[in-house]
Amino acid sequence: MESGSVTYNEYGALVMTTGGSRANIPSYGKRQGWRPKTAEDYGDGGAYPEINILQYPLDLGRKKQGTSNALAIQVDGEGKIKYDAIARQGQAAGRIVHTSFSDLIPLRQRANIGEINLARPSEEEVALTTAKTKAAFDNILNGKADAANAKSITNSKTSEPTFIRYTPSSMMGDKAGGQRIIKMVDLPEDPMAPPKFKHTKVPRGPPSPPAPLLRSPPRKLTVKDQEDFAIPPSVSKWKNAKGYTIALDKRLAADGRGLQDVEISDNFAKLSEALYAADRHAREEVKQRALLQQRLADEEKERKEEHLRELARKVREERGEPRRRQRTVSPDEPRGRTMARGRSISRTPSGSGSRSGSYSSYDSRSRSGSYSRTPPNRRRSYSRSASRSRSGSYSRSPSRSLSGSRSRSRSYSRSPSRTPSRSLSRSRSRSRSLSVDARPSKFRRID
Amino acid sequence: MTAIDEVDQLERLNKRGRDLFGKTYGFSVDYNEPISQRIRYTSKLRTEYTAAQAQLPPHITAKLPPSTSASRKKEDAARKDVDALLNDILPPPPPAGSLLAKPSLDSTALTVRQETDTSTKSNDQQLMLRQQRQQQPQSSAARALIERQANVAQVRPEWHAPWKLMRVISGHLGWVRSVCVEPDNQWFATGAGDRTIKIWDLASGTLKLTLTGHIMTVRGLAVSPRHPYLFSAGEDKMVKCWDLEQNKVIRHYHGHLSGVYALDLHPSLDVLVTAGRDGVARVWDMRSRREVHILSGHKGTISSVKCQAEDPQVLTGSMDTQVRLWDLAAGKTQTVLTHHKKSVRALTTHPTEFTFASGSADNIKQWKLPEGGFMHNFSPQHNAIVNTLSTNSDGVMFSGGDNGTMAFFDWKTGHKFQEVETAAMPGSLEAENGIFASTFDQTGLRLITCEADKSIKIWREDPEATPETHPGIEWRPTLGRRRF
Repeated sequence: MESGSVTYNEYGALVMTTGGSRANIPSYGKRQGWRPKTAEDYGDGGAYPEINILQYPLDLGRKKQGTSNALAIQVDGEGKIKYDAIARQGQAAGRIVHTSFSDLIPLRQRANIGEINLARPSEEEVALTTAKTKAAFDNILNGKADAANAKSITNSKTSEPTFIRYTPSSMMGDKAGGQRIIKMVDLPEDPMAPPKFKHTKVPRGPPSPPAPLLRSPPRKLTVKDQEDFAIPPSVSKWKNAKGYTIALDKRLAADGRGLQDVEISDNFAKLSEALYAADRHAREEVKQRALLQQRLADEEKERKEEHLRELARKVREERGEPRRRQRTVSPDEPRGRTMARGRSISRTPSGSGSRSGSYSSYDSRSRSGSYSRTPPNRRRSYSRSASRSRSGSYSRSPSRSLSGSRSRSRSYSRSPSRTPSRSLSRSRSRSRSLSVDARPSKFRRID
Repeated sequence: MTAIDEVDQLERLNKRGRDLFGKTYGFSVDYNEPISQRIRYTSKLRTEYTAAQAQLPPHITAKLPPSTSASRKKEDAARKDVDALLNDILPPPPPAGSLLAKPSLDSTALTVRQETDTSTKSNDQQLMLRQQRQQQPQSSAARALIERQANVAQVRPEWHAPWKLMRVISGHLGWVRSVCVEPDNQWFATGAGDRTIKIWDLASGTLKLTLTGHIMTVRGLAVSPRHPYLFSAGEDKMVKCWDLEQNKVIRHYHGHLSGVYALDLHPSLDVLVTAGRDGVARVWDMRSRREVHILSGHKGTISSVKCQAEDPQVLTGSMDTQVRLWDLAAGKTQTVLTHHKKSVRALTTHPTEFTFASGSADNIKQWKLPEGGFMHNFSPQHNAIVNTLSTNSDGVMFSGGDNGTMAFFDWKTGHKFQEVETAAMPGSLEAENGIFASTFDQTGLRLITCEADKSIKIWREDPEATPETHPGIEWRPTLGRRRF
């Protein structure tokens, strides 16, 4: 019997038999010790009940294993298990994932690296890449329908009827007909009909598996780190809605006082020391200047007294001769106020040769004689000047001779001459203060 | 002490010198040739291993259960000869006769030992058989252990002249955040926190033009080499295309959801890539102003973007410490590099080599393209937040820090040869020391840095420096095991 025969069974259906294995199946009653091993051993029928083994004809009745998502263990060419399959799961073929420790080692120190080629790809490759990318971009950009392009929304191609020429096959007996033309038309769509389908949002699929982290794990926090970065809770200095009573240190915790080291600059101390020093220095200078002025004044006084003595001597000499003429002394400016006394003395034509101690006699004499003779702009209130009390120390201190006469009188003359009524002390102090500004620089060093 | 031990000791002492200077002075002996390796290991293992193989003393073997023939066979098999062990690792030695024929190789020692050791005679024959059968009987793991020593020798870094300040340009009223040099090297543009873009003449440093239009800091600038356009990106989510013939904005690219921090142009396609605070890089078609791709994947702000013509065409560095290499045609990530521990703020590609570097506060790392293999760290470290990186065609890389420190590295070896602190303009606060952006000009002879004291500084190499007068930071090779 041939291996495959085409026969009709009792219903007229076509039956193809694989005769070879059919012959191997023992008939009923003769199946002791025989086991169906392949699917063909079941023939047309099902399991053999007299054979006491599990039989799955046509694989029916087998308990299927539930499909699981677990990744099967894969082995690479050398026979080692690919443990990084889980990191590469579900990713595109071109994806490069670094998973092993050797990816951490610098390239030139890896063991089996061979020759490293760092040259850029050639221009042809670059041109290929560019062309490929450009084509991909064009696809994307053309595919994206422009909202402004209204024409693309209606595609007229599907609305037109299409015609199909259909030639039925002559398989079924003699029913082969001629060719037919079939017209396919789109079902007209009601433009006012509401949408048929609801847009439902599909949840996003799982992301690609995370890349293995090829770095050492982050260092553990030390207590010191935690303390450094501890932020106290913020407690407002202004608002306290619930009226809590909070300790002062908590109120000020966010102030940042403990974090700053308040450093007082050294310059404060330096400033106060400098002020003290300057003060002391100034006082010294003032004292020195006072001494100097005093010396000058003493010398001036000496000179003037000398001058007076001279005058007196002259007068005495004159008086010794017969009194021929009266001496008029022109009151000259440089002599100043101290000369006023001398003037008054010289003007009196009285016969007394000696100076009287009291001023009142001078006073009367000056008033009587010389006042009317002095020009009006030169008249001074002699009364006041004469009755001035000697508050200063010009007479008391021993007169000293000065080498250079920095004439006090000059400063006296600088003061307005209209007011000779000022007391000597006041004028002295004023002139002293005036000369403070005009002091020479070489006296600064005295300390 | 045997002769082998003495030789070992001498070798250890001379190893350092040989590794450093061997290639320079042409020591012809290559101790890494397989045959010499084999001799070395065989002799070493024989000296040490055979002692470990010592027989147990007789009074103990008497106490052991009597071993059957099968177990004895196993014991003998376990005490494999050194040669058989080494066959797994090294290429097998050539047959005994052939060795003698080559006078240059000192391999007679091997054959002599084999003859005197009687127990190995049969093993020698086995060895020959095994050689015939197997061509390369090596397992890569074991081979790796041995070959690793060959790669420890290091290259001495090339000397570079130190860089010094040449010119200070002040004119901006805010931090200068971005810079770009024109392809013809005539002028450069800077964008600042005063929301203007100023164009300066490169040769003289004088201001040529001020462009206003942004309403927040201008963070990215790029001049197109193929069109008369200047592209600018700002923190106000705007990406503008300025026509340089009319000095006005002609296009806006709308779509960013947050400030744009980085911008770059593709060298061959008419496409620009921008990225910013929303964590995605957007690829725009220049002419039609449409987004071609949205490259998403980063989980933090993207601080820098670089475009190149070869795959991977887009590199991004982000504040989630990742560097991603993108396949631009598909719009997908090709590789993720997770080696950095702190945010990656700067990226730079080498003009001629197919490598790039990424800078973050912990390290500056150099990578090989296209697969993103880690090449080395730049050391000694620049201990600052690295805001910007730029590379020269001479192999000088500059890194500018957030605290005003600058470091210059040799690209090939990763050695830092100079570290400088910028001098802020007089009257600046101490907090105004910082470098935000930098670039070399098209020739690579001038470095332009944009700083936090609102000035632009131009640096150049010291022309009178020589390797003797300015050796730079000393380089010491580190031999032996290093921790990764």
